[in-house]
Amino acid sequence: MAKRERRVGYGWPVLLAIGVHIAALMLTIIKWPESEPDPTSSSVVQATLVRAETATDQPQQTEDSAPPASQPEEEGAQEPEESAPAESSEEPAPDSDAEVTDSAVEEAKAEAQRLQEEAQRAAEQRAKAEKRRQAEAEAEKKRQAEAEAERKRQAEAEAKKKRQAEAAAEKKRQAEAEAEAERKRQAEAEAERKRQAEAEAEKKRQAEAERKRQQELAERAAQANNSSLDSMISDEEQSIANAKQANEAANGFKNLVRRYVEQSWNVPSNASSELRAIVRIQLLPTGELVSATITQSSGNSAFDHSVISAVEKAAPFREMRELDASVKGRFREFNLDFNPEDIR
Amino acid sequence: MNDSMSIPHLIMNASLIVQLVMLLLLAASIASWIIIFQRSIALRRAEKSYRDFEDRFWSGVDLNELYRDLPAEQESLGAEHVFRSGFREFNRLMPKTQSTDAVLEGVQRGQRVALSREEDRLQLHLTFLATVASASPYIGLFGTVWGIMGSFQSLSMAQQATLSTVAPWIAEALVATAMGLFAAIPAVIFYNRLSAHAGRLLGKYENFAEEFHAILHRNLQGRSEREAS
Repeated sequence: MAKRERRVGYGWPVLLAIGVHIAALMLTIIKWPESEPDPTSSSVVQATLVRAETATDQPQQTEDSAPPASQPEEEGAQEPEESAPAESSEEPAPDSDAEVTDSAVEEAKAEAQRLQEEAQRAAEQRAKAEKRRQAEAEAEKKRQAEAEAERKRQAEAEAKKKRQAEAAAEKKRQAEAEAEAERKRQAEAEAERKRQAEAEAEKKRQAEAERKRQQELAERAAQANNSSLDSMISDEEQSIANAKQANEAANGFKNLVRRYVEQSWNVPSNASSELRAIVRIQLLPTGELVSATITQSSGNSAFDHSVISAVEKAAPFREMRELDASVKGRFREFNLDFNPEDIR
Repeated sequence: MNDSMSIPHLIMNASLIVQLVMLLLLAASIASWIIIFQRSIALRRAEKSYRDFEDRFWSGVDLNELYRDLPAEQESLGAEHVFRSGFREFNRLMPKTQSTDAVLEGVQRGQRVALSREEDRLQLHLTFLATVASASPYIGLFGTVWGIMGSFQSLSMAQQATLSTVAPWIAEALVATAMGLFAAIPAVIFYNRLSAHAGRLLGKYENFAEEFHAILHRNLQGRSEREAS
């Protein structure tokens, strides 16, 4: 035993260590039960129907009126019970004074008789009172029952009245609905008539258009013979127009750059309208700014500086990418002149 | 938590080096826990046996008898070992020399050797715990950095980098750090705890050695005075 205590083996520790790791792994693997997310409904307003109420509130009314009707009955039943314990009587204690003298004995006898009589009377009275009370209770009960019946009758009468009113309203509504339907039907019939008329007019118009088109076709076929020369001329014109367009695009790009720069230009407040700076802008084909330098200074270094920083702020000019290759070449490097009057 | 972000899934999907790092960390963690359990049990037993031995020593038993009762040298541990080596030295030197100082010196030396051996035995493998504690966060961090590097390399191929393309990679990489910390935290805590426990036990052994030495000294002093008179 002493030996076992001395050397601590590694068997148990290994098992314990592996157990610890498996437990840790389980903790990561086990999915804790999550609360299910609410099913997202497609409707914007999330509402659940609690009770489908009937169109008429009649059944509900009768339901509501039922509970109070049964309440007074219970109360009436409880009342006699409550009064019952109150009649516990205190017995008159007989006088136990025993005197040796006869008179005393007689007196005692008389006294006892009197007491007895009194007790009897009291008992009678009590019985009477009891009877009266019972009668009262019964009367009360009856009255309550009557009142109950009365109330019920009234409720029923009311319900009936309501039902009748309801029915009348219903009839009225139906009549109205019918009238409405009638009116609608008439309106529809009229609309139908109108539509037919329109369709006819449409047909007429189409026939006319068809005739015209055929005429035109015939005319064009006649012209087609002498148009081959014209087409050559028009080709020429088109190429000229293309060149013009490219030119315009180039000008447009320059204007665009100018507008961008002016948008981000903080003109110094002291700049007078006579100042004028020319900036040389170098761009990459992608529109990135390579450099912007002042080629002709305005003489006001703050003004020059503001122009340069405006150009830098406005860069890059992405529209450069959309230009034609031939036009792009022109804008790798170009000059822009700035004048505070341009934006004032 | 969707399925693709669960931890086992992340581990299985990680790149090879990250997986190797995780494996290394897992091995380190298991080894450190083995040492934690083994050392805790061993130290608790050593403390219990020390208490038993102390009770016996101070119960007024004859020291010669106690010496004979104790098991052989190789199997004795703790305070018993200290007592045995000191007493054996005392017994061997007594017939050979008359000098009290020489005897006491010999006893002290024997005890010192026994104490240092006990210290060695108590703190066995605790340095491994210290190594795991300090190194495994770095190993885990290495795995994370490697994983994030991989994620950025693959990100450069992607057309656009949205959060959903980056997130799984980074989560994968971070698992390595988490595992490093998982290995390191228990190792730190138990290294401190166990080394404090071992130090306390060693202090008890030393106190016992001093007390034993004092008893022997008293005996020898009495004998030499008797001889002188």
